[in-house]
Amino acid sequence: MADYDHIPTLKENIDRATVDSVLSLDVDKYKYGFESAIESDMAPKGLSEDTVRFISAKKQEPEWMLEWRLDAYRRFLTLTEPNWAKVHYPQIDLQDMYYYAAPKSTPAPTSLDEVDPALLEMYEKLGIPLREREILAGVERPNVAVDAVMDSVSVVTTFREELSKVGIIFCSMSEAIREYPELVRKYLATVVPVTDNYYATLNSAVFTDGSFVYIPKGVRCPMELSTYFRINEKKTGQFERTLIIAEADSYVSYLEGCTAPSRAESQLHAAVVELVAMDNAEIKYSTVQNWYPGDKDGNGGIYNFVTKRGDCRGANSKISWTQVETGAAITWKYPSCILRGDGSRGEFYSIAISNGYQQVDSGTKMIHLGKNTSSRIISKGIAAGFSDNTYRGQVSAHARAKNARNFTQCDSLLIGDKCGAHTVPYIESRNGSAVFEHEATTSKISDDQMFYCQQRGLNEEEAVALIVNGFVRDVLQHLPMEFMVETQKLIAISLEGSVG
Amino acid sequence: MAQVLPVRLGAAEDTLIAQLNSVGATAAAERITVAGLPTRRVESYHYTDLKMLLKTVPPLAEPANQASAPALRVAGAYQLMIANGVIQSSTTAPAGVMVGDAQGSALSTRDDVLVHLNGALAKQSLTLTLEGSVDPVIQVDRRIEGAAAHVADSLKIFVADNASAVILETFSGSDAAHVGNHATYLAVGKNAMVTHITVDLSGKATSHFATNEYDLDEGAKLRTLTIHAGAALSRSQVFARFAGQGAHGDFTGLNLVEDGQHNDITIDIRHAVAHTTSQEMYKQIARGRSKAVFQGKIVVERDAQKVDAKMMMQGLMLSDEAEILSKPELEIYADDVVCGHGSTCGELDEESMFYLMSRGLPQAEAETMLVRGFIEEVLDPIEDEALHEALVGIVDGWLLGA
Repeated sequence: MADYDHIPTLKENIDRATVDSVLSLDVDKYKYGFESAIESDMAPKGLSEDTVRFISAKKQEPEWMLEWRLDAYRRFLTLTEPNWAKVHYPQIDLQDMYYYAAPKSTPAPTSLDEVDPALLEMYEKLGIPLREREILAGVERPNVAVDAVMDSVSVVTTFREELSKVGIIFCSMSEAIREYPELVRKYLATVVPVTDNYYATLNSAVFTDGSFVYIPKGVRCPMELSTYFRINEKKTGQFERTLIIAEADSYVSYLEGCTAPSRAESQLHAAVVELVAMDNAEIKYSTVQNWYPGDKDGNGGIYNFVTKRGDCRGANSKISWTQVETGAAITWKYPSCILRGDGSRGEFYSIAISNGYQQVDSGTKMIHLGKNTSSRIISKGIAAGFSDNTYRGQVSAHARAKNARNFTQCDSLLIGDKCGAHTVPYIESRNGSAVFEHEATTSKISDDQMFYCQQRGLNEEEAVALIVNGFVRDVLQHLPMEFMVETQKLIAISLEGSVG
Repeated sequence: MAQVLPVRLGAAEDTLIAQLNSVGATAAAERITVAGLPTRRVESYHYTDLKMLLKTVPPLAEPANQASAPALRVAGAYQLMIANGVIQSSTTAPAGVMVGDAQGSALSTRDDVLVHLNGALAKQSLTLTLEGSVDPVIQVDRRIEGAAAHVADSLKIFVADNASAVILETFSGSDAAHVGNHATYLAVGKNAMVTHITVDLSGKATSHFATNEYDLDEGAKLRTLTIHAGAALSRSQVFARFAGQGAHGDFTGLNLVEDGQHNDITIDIRHAVAHTTSQEMYKQIARGRSKAVFQGKIVVERDAQKVDAKMMMQGLMLSDEAEILSKPELEIYADDVVCGHGSTCGELDEESMFYLMSRGLPQAEAETMLVRGFIEEVLDPIEDEALHEALVGIVDGWLLGA
């Protein structure tokens, strides 16, 4: 909390929130960079068949799951790392990291009171509400059910009982494998195949935890579901696996947030997220990605290599991805939609901000397979400092995708002359009735806009933040309310120091 | 971690390696032995998987004994010919044109398999030095004659400061399964104005590869037009570099693709200095079971401020089996620039068709009329009337050949 004592005169008419945000800017750019002293249970260092067996045993998984993992591991050995993305990083030594780290003393706490207080404190610091009572008492905050994943395990999942009353399953992936094996077997890896790509295959072999969501037929999820990912241990990789299934006529909105401590060495986060939407179902998936981006000289930071894909399996289903990418040293992420069902719809709204030495290569894929499918892509990339920001997106219509329709708009904004903004769209039309439109622009903040804002008393940085917020407004309005405010602040923080 | 698996080489690669070794180009042979021909995993060949598409390579060409009729005649043009890689003697050059030859290929050492092959296999380059204002259209007629042959030829053009010229290259030959690998280097001097047109009219069994490199000096103005209307498999590469301030380039192209064809136009436009501008306009029309590919890249290098570049790709699908694939890229490292690209793809507008047909035009004619209108934007800027007419003739021939 802000310390108001040392401010000599706090004027009456100044909003406290304004002072708060200004102070937080002053103190530290990345406010989630702390490390929590929580004792962990670790797997032996390095990647091997034994590591895979260790993880599977730790999770008390059934035999089929272990076999599935080992199969993925063997296939992984035959793959090579992709090099098409516009990112550069030293070779990642997969043998020099831990694949499993779990906070000790958490053998299935039955209530929050049994959870390690240090853990709760950490989440409090991160601003994540885990105490249901408190959340319920909150007036201005709507209810959000949270699955909190730290390093390799889910530490707590809130509101499970209330959700189960309407038949919704919301739990950690490990529990789902034990308790709902039929559902997991039916859907796991049906959207992202085991050998989809290098990092997805690695994830399949060693994934540790993530969220599992099942929305039964005709149910509209009564609250926002969310997962909060935190990397805490040194030298650990985080391999989350999330699976969301929305049965016919259902609706769910899911939020995801992530942070990590500030460290000089880089850490790997390789996630796989799969969404399945049946007839008339709708899934809205929002991410605010705020991994540690590295220091101002480009040391440390998270390598974020993520495979996210949604399958619009049913007719008239809809999947909407919204992402705000401000963190991570390297981001390599393409939330995609497979528009299989006739009349299905995919959306992708993205704000990617890079500063310092961050590298972002992100975008989407819209694969039109069914008739009358439509998709919409709005991407806003902002590059500052020494960063490189690439939009890479694919839109393709297959021969049977009659009347497929896509609109893509990707705009890039450059702040400063040491950064780069790139656009790499792949537009593939394989039938005559498909109509694709794509437009991209790159520009800088005009002197006129700056002059106008500064003349009205804003300083340079405030002016940039204001203009940038306007630039990304199209995307911001697709975020759930509580994320929107947070994001506006984040944008200001990410761009701090980029001017002048 | 994962071990690198050795590349499995196919028949085409084996032949290429043998051919490269036979001319002593061991380094180029080694490169193909290690990497093979590019697959779709190589980003710049993403839509043209040469390993899959180029099944066999015919033997290296012998000098041609007989020549077929020129594929395109432009009234009043000054004609030069390269047949099977050998420069043919020509009539007296018009004022301002100096013709010569040079050893080896005209291309730089770019890391690209087609450039490597041309560099190793082209024995000589036809050189043209243009001074002052050259009046007649200069036509370089590049042929592959006789039995199926693998040909590498090369052309090097210097356009002096303040000069102006219109250069046309045509590619044609006999109906055998040739592999043609053609190189053109064109340097545009200070304040010079050049129009450079390449037209691929090669036979239905030919694999046509062409690489054009351009260097633009201060105040230079260049217009290029790449037309694909032949070959079974073709790929035209355009690499342009803006090296002087105030230079401007218009890069245009027309990719006409019909049943069984796979045509690729790949461009890389590099703004290396400030205050340079370019406009790219490429149109693709596909019918039958065919593939039209456009890969465009605009690069604005660090400190190349005040660049203005706009790229546009428009695709027209005339059948349901056709594919139009496009990848318009921007790679920008300077902040004070205005860059944009657009890409559209669709079929003929139903309302326009209805309008024309309701006025009594048969469907085929209405279609042709709309397609002509679609194309004209690219052909219109060609000022030389005889040349414009010849190009319209090629397009009409393609349209009516359905």
